[in-house]
Amino acid sequence: MVAITRTARSASKSRIRHRAPGYASRMRFVYISLVPILGLIFTFSLLPIGIVAWLSLHRYNQLSPVMPWLGLRNYEFAFQTDPFFRNALENTLKYAFVAVPVNIVLSLPIALGLNQITRFRALFRTAFFMPVVASAVAVSLLWNTIYDPQAGWLNAFLDWVGLVPRPWLGSPDTAIWAVLAAAVWQDLGYNILVFLAGLQGIPQDFYDAAKVDGAGPWQRFRGITIPLLQRTTLFVLVLTMISYLQEFTHIQVMTNGGPIHTSETLVLYTYKKGFSDFNMGYASAMSMILMGIILIITLIQMRLMRSRWEY
Amino acid sequence: MATTSYVVPETGDLVRRRRLKKIGTAALYVLFGIVAIIFTLPFVLMLSSAFKTQAEIIQVPPSFFPQDPSLDSFRTVINDAPFFTWFRNSLLVACTVTIIVMFLCSLGGYIFAKFDFPGRDPIFVVLLATMMVPFPVLLIPSYLIVNKFQLINSLWALIIPSMVNAFGIFLMRQFIAGIPNDLIEAARLDGASEFRIFLRVILPMAKPPLAALGIFTFLAAWNDYLWPLIVINDIDKSTLPLALSFFNSAHAQRYDLIMAAASMAVIPIIIVFVIFQKQIVNALVIAGLK
Repeated sequence: MVAITRTARSASKSRIRHRAPGYASRMRFVYISLVPILGLIFTFSLLPIGIVAWLSLHRYNQLSPVMPWLGLRNYEFAFQTDPFFRNALENTLKYAFVAVPVNIVLSLPIALGLNQITRFRALFRTAFFMPVVASAVAVSLLWNTIYDPQAGWLNAFLDWVGLVPRPWLGSPDTAIWAVLAAAVWQDLGYNILVFLAGLQGIPQDFYDAAKVDGAGPWQRFRGITIPLLQRTTLFVLVLTMISYLQEFTHIQVMTNGGPIHTSETLVLYTYKKGFSDFNMGYASAMSMILMGIILIITLIQMRLMRSRWEY
Repeated sequence: MATTSYVVPETGDLVRRRRLKKIGTAALYVLFGIVAIIFTLPFVLMLSSAFKTQAEIIQVPPSFFPQDPSLDSFRTVINDAPFFTWFRNSLLVACTVTIIVMFLCSLGGYIFAKFDFPGRDPIFVVLLATMMVPFPVLLIPSYLIVNKFQLINSLWALIIPSMVNAFGIFLMRQFIAGIPNDLIEAARLDGASEFRIFLRVILPMAKPPLAALGIFTFLAAWNDYLWPLIVINDIDKSTLPLALSFFNSAHAQRYDLIMAAASMAVIPIIIVFVIFQKQIVNALVIAGLK
């Protein structure tokens, strides 16, 4: 049956190139399906990219009828004049460049350990993964109560062990780090899972063979686990970095950027500029800058990791 | 992982090594126990606060277990706030988005995987490029577009822009490309229409990535906060995360109420997660790694 189909098809193909039987109905199916799909993609993914780029070159306020051309002056203002932009940029980079290593340094060993144990693995995995499925707002509110200066659990605990209680979210020195701790607590489970999947993808034969050759646990780890986990690590690194560079929810709910802007991230500042001050042209320029930063950091990471680890 | 080492010269050494290994494993379990407590403790604290009375919640230092557990805070949340409306909104938006995304992305994936049409490759490259742009960058134009369609403050604003995405099309295409063409041809010979082939041949075979896409989409829609924050103003149109944030501003410092509302928002999704744990874990890994 299949053989006949094939000969029939190739025969018709050789006669009229593009008019195989059913060609018209196939094309109709393709176009009817593509219209809604590409229409939606165009309207909500492609068009916004054009609009944000175009707006970033203007002064734009939704309420005002005119939209004066500014050229690159929004960008100039961001980098040269606006201290809050610089502050938000620094906070964002600080946040991401601390959160990513902390996340990986915690999630990789947990995954390695989980890969070693046989019993209760599913139970531990459930415990680690629960925060990932919870909403970031609920988790932020939960950590608000933990960090509360008076009735919070953290200070009660610190007091109990004899350490100094602090207003964790209320102090400029600690606010951003307190939020970071809550965010990492919430996200860790996802990377643990991805690392675990990567580890389980390494064939056991490799370890057995190395053992027969007399390689110790550390040598097996360095010689097999690390190189074979590089793809997973690169993936985790890039995705985690991208997501922390866009941090918004935890910060907005827990500190709203305060105290005195010390925990204000770029997305939060852009949101405030765009939707509280209605300075949408400037907010668009900052969005473009964020996109540029994300692209550059992603490319650098991919380049670095590739040249170091690929063989 | 009970492994026996075969190349060990002396028996004494073997015994010692085994003992070391046993101690190591035991230590690992203890360590994991502690880490697991760190991970679950905040949820326990959340529930504990939710069951406390208003008087007990402001007590310093806080009590670990409620001295006089009461359901008052839950009652207040349900009676004084439209909690079930928020829940229904979340469910409605997340389910609608999930079903449409699963349908449109698999249809798109099928078309890009199995059909040859003019402009296919350049269109696909553009599609992939849109995946590189993170959503917060497009906040302002997305708001303006949705505003043009007069969808602000409507649940449609949460549904329509999320109905299809390049990542989903890409994920489905990668999988569907591996389905043999002969199956499709055979169905065509049997006289099935193209759409029927998609429904009856392709979709049943593409279950694993479809489940992954569905779970991923549902979780993202259920937990989304930034976009509802921008397009929804009305408390009755809120989804849960947005409503929780409103609720928090309205009842600042009433941790008993806030934690009761947060528990009611989080617990259903955690129960769903525990039931479908295996599938969800697989799904997130498929969606992440492919």
